[in-house]
Amino acid sequence: MLTPNGKEYAQKIPREELTHLILRLLQAWKEPLSHFNQHHQELPDDSLSKAKQISSMVHELKTGVEKVTEKARFSINSLNGMTPSEAAGLSISNEANMMSDSDFIHCFRRDSNKVQSYLKILKCRIMPENSC
Amino acid sequence: MKQKLTSSLQIILLLALTAVSLTGQSYPGKPKIIRCRSLEKETFSCWWKPGSDGGLPTNYTLFYSRDSEEEIYECPDYRTSGPNSCYFDTNHTTPWTTYNITVTATNEIGSNSSDPQYVDVTSIVQPDAPVNLSLETKTSANTMYLWAKWSPPPLAEARANSHVYHYELRLKPEEKEEWETISVGVQTQYQVLRLQAGVKYVVQVRCMLDLGEWSEWSSERRIQIPNGESPPEKPTIIKCRSPEKETFTCWWKPGSDGGHPTNYTLLYSKEGEEQVYECPDYRTAGPNSCYFDKKHTSFWTIYNITVRATNEMGSNFSDPHYVDVTYIVQPDPPVNVTLELKKPMNRKPYLVLTWSPPPLADVRSGWLTLEYELRLKPEEGEEWETIFVGQQTQYKMFSLNPGKKYIVQIHCKPDHHGSWSEWSSEKYIQIPTDFRVKDMVVWIVVGVLSSLICLIMSWTMVLKGYRMIAFILPPVPGPKIKGIDTHLLETGKSEELLSALGCHGFPPTSDCEELLIEYLEVEDSEDQQLMPSHDSGHPSKNTKMISKETDSDSGRGSCDSPSLLSEKCRECRTLSSTLQTQDIRDVQENTGGKTSWETQCIASEQKILLLNNETTKSSTWPAAQLPNTQPPMFAYHSTVDAHKITLNTTNVNIAPVLVGNEEKHQSQYPITETVHNNMEKQREMENLHSKTDQTTAQVKQNRPNDKSPFLNPKLMDYVEVHKVRQDEQAVLLKHKENSGKTEKYTVPGTSKEYTKVSTVVDHNIIVLMPDSCIQHTSVSQEPAMETSPNLQQGQAEKNMSYCLTAPSECKRETSGSEYMDPSSFMPSFK
Repeated sequence: MLTPNGKEYAQKIPREELTHLILRLLQAWKEPLSHFNQHHQELPDDSLSKAKQISSMVHELKTGVEKVTEKARFSINSLNGMTPSEAAGLSISNEANMMSDSDFIHCFRRDSNKVQSYLKILKCRIMPENSC
Repeated sequence: MKQKLTSSLQIILLLALTAVSLTGQSYPGKPKIIRCRSLEKETFSCWWKPGSDGGLPTNYTLFYSRDSEEEIYECPDYRTSGPNSCYFDTNHTTPWTTYNITVTATNEIGSNSSDPQYVDVTSIVQPDAPVNLSLETKTSANTMYLWAKWSPPPLAEARANSHVYHYELRLKPEEKEEWETISVGVQTQYQVLRLQAGVKYVVQVRCMLDLGEWSEWSSERRIQIPNGESPPEKPTIIKCRSPEKETFTCWWKPGSDGGHPTNYTLLYSKEGEEQVYECPDYRTAGPNSCYFDKKHTSFWTIYNITVRATNEMGSNFSDPHYVDVTYIVQPDPPVNVTLELKKPMNRKPYLVLTWSPPPLADVRSGWLTLEYELRLKPEEGEEWETIFVGQQTQYKMFSLNPGKKYIVQIHCKPDHHGSWSEWSSEKYIQIPTDFRVKDMVVWIVVGVLSSLICLIMSWTMVLKGYRMIAFILPPVPGPKIKGIDTHLLETGKSEELLSALGCHGFPPTSDCEELLIEYLEVEDSEDQQLMPSHDSGHPSKNTKMISKETDSDSGRGSCDSPSLLSEKCRECRTLSSTLQTQDIRDVQENTGGKTSWETQCIASEQKILLLNNETTKSSTWPAAQLPNTQPPMFAYHSTVDAHKITLNTTNVNIAPVLVGNEEKHQSQYPITETVHNNMEKQREMENLHSKTDQTTAQVKQNRPNDKSPFLNPKLMDYVEVHKVRQDEQAVLLKHKENSGKTEKYTVPGTSKEYTKVSTVVDHNIIVLMPDSCIQHTSVSQEPAMETSPNLQQGQAEKNMSYCLTAPSECKRETSGSEYMDPSSFMPSFK
């Protein structure tokens, strides 16, 4: 899944596409996270609860972004976007199954950082007055 | 037989042995003491080697004895030095003694002892080898030398400082066999010169105490001597940083260059890619650094970075360094730190601190979000107070002490994954003390107002001080004489008085003569009303009486007579006393003579002032004071003033005395005596009286009276008026002898007789009326004299009657006389 790797790229992308990208990312990680939680019951309770918390947060974040986009009346071709995202999600989940735990966590961390950065850019684009 | 026995014994022995050997148990073997050693001459240890244990558990015990002693000790410590050892600590170690040590192995079957070992501690000293040997090559002045360092052997008991070790170092090239030994001395380091370049050396070191043996050699250390031509050492990457999350820079530290110029190249590869790139920019960030600009910076990818050092001899790679730019962000410090003091209306002023993010950070687009933190401390303080501000770029400070100086710094950090920036430059805050200025203003205003109030109060005090004092300290009331209207006297309206008295055309001057005249009135108790008492509307009866008296004093002799003088004095006293009583305060205060009496006494009557002063000051015997007080006054000068003064004084003095002693008839005597004594004064008084009378009578002929004859003491012998009682009786004592003199005493130019005694019927006021008719006077006087002790009113009346007629004449005569014409008030007597 291709994501912009730099600030300029991220800024060049139109808002709708950026939003779409975010949503795709969030969607993609939904499955692997749940899979991870299922297969790692042996973790200590703290870590396990943390993992569950993270997956729920991801879900909430996705929902929130969707709502924001609806309110902002972005034209999201959700239908168009979903399919690739699902595919991307599957690919990611396949990869996630393959990779080790540390790699998994590392990848997740990076992708969440991506999402965060994209969201911030989006925020400052939509509403530039708030501490931007 | 014997052979059989021996053989049987042997067989038995063999059997026993085999039995023993079969069972495998026997007494232990003989242990052997391997070694005894002391590390520092204060403790030592012995190790032994056990023999066979005979198949059974064996105990080993060490026994020792010292020198030639018989006593045997056992090992104190079996453990410290390990198994099969005995450790003698300092308490059990005595140098210069020989220990006889044996080890005994014991098991169930038997025991076996080792051979004794004779140990002298001092001979078994051998320290441990030195430790921590480090080697380093250094270059100085184009020569390479080896610098070796080590540490002395550690000791269990921390007493290493007291031991001085001697060291020895040996080295050899790695491939060679022979060692080069160098004696180092007591130092723990050494520099080796004369090294072969490019050779790898092996180094060892050992030590020794001042007595004993050398320690073992330390472990080997190897070092490669740089050849001057060798590949460089491996560089190391220090850090990589991104200031704004768009570019980043890496820095490395080079190793030794091996004697040749070395090039450094940075090579990197990205995650997932095989291709290796070289650093795009070696310069922007300075030496030994690599700058990755925006194009070459990718986020969320891991960089694999290595540095390669290359020189003629070869190259060397550093360890790889993995970098993800997202996590290496360290921004620049915030800029534009500004302070603003805001003063809201109803609140305390506060400080607003604002700053802006570093210029490179792109906060606008949200790409990089920064969090800020500031710290402040008072200028003299030591600890910083750190305040996390968050993402806002301003901060309000409320709780700073006014007047103090603070130091403020700010730094920032990416909101996630990053490190804090450096602190911004110090910013000083000086809290203003405006509000204090306001307080000062208030205090200044208060001070000014209070000072004004004080000034005003002081002015009022000054201006109206007298009144204030009068209010505070009321004047002491003196004896008040009824009938005398002091105010009238004060006003000096002689016209009124005179009109009351029936006299007209009095001189306007209101001298003390008037007063004198008035004072001549003799008063008892309360009433001092003379003739004028009958008169109504007379403001001051006393004055009238006095005038009468003066008028009655046809001759000056009467005035000069002590009695008359006394009368006059009495009157004077009375009057003066009354006046004094009323105006004592004034008199007292106004030394200048502003009493009513004095006021009446005109300027010429300065003496009156004096008199007044005297009288005021005198209480009972002013008369007595007269001579004392005014000797100069009694300079017999033909000066009116002098006379007046004297008279005044006398009057003043006497009058109060009279008044004061009204109730004391006896006092009158002394008064008269004093009067006698002060003949001159009396005369003067009389003169003054006469003068005053004249003044009251409008005619002042005191001046002529001032002539010397007037002051003849002889005249003093005339009449003495004594007051015997407080009753209305007045005693006039007249000296017969004076009677004759009265004539003489009469003022030249005035043939007036002495005085006529005209007593007030009602009161004891004796009015001495100047009687031109000497005869009458004499006649009148004589009976008076006869009845000196008691003056009968009847006689007085007679006299008066006499005088009634006379006055008409007397008037004429008295026109030029000093005395007042009693005709005016003659009827009043009736």
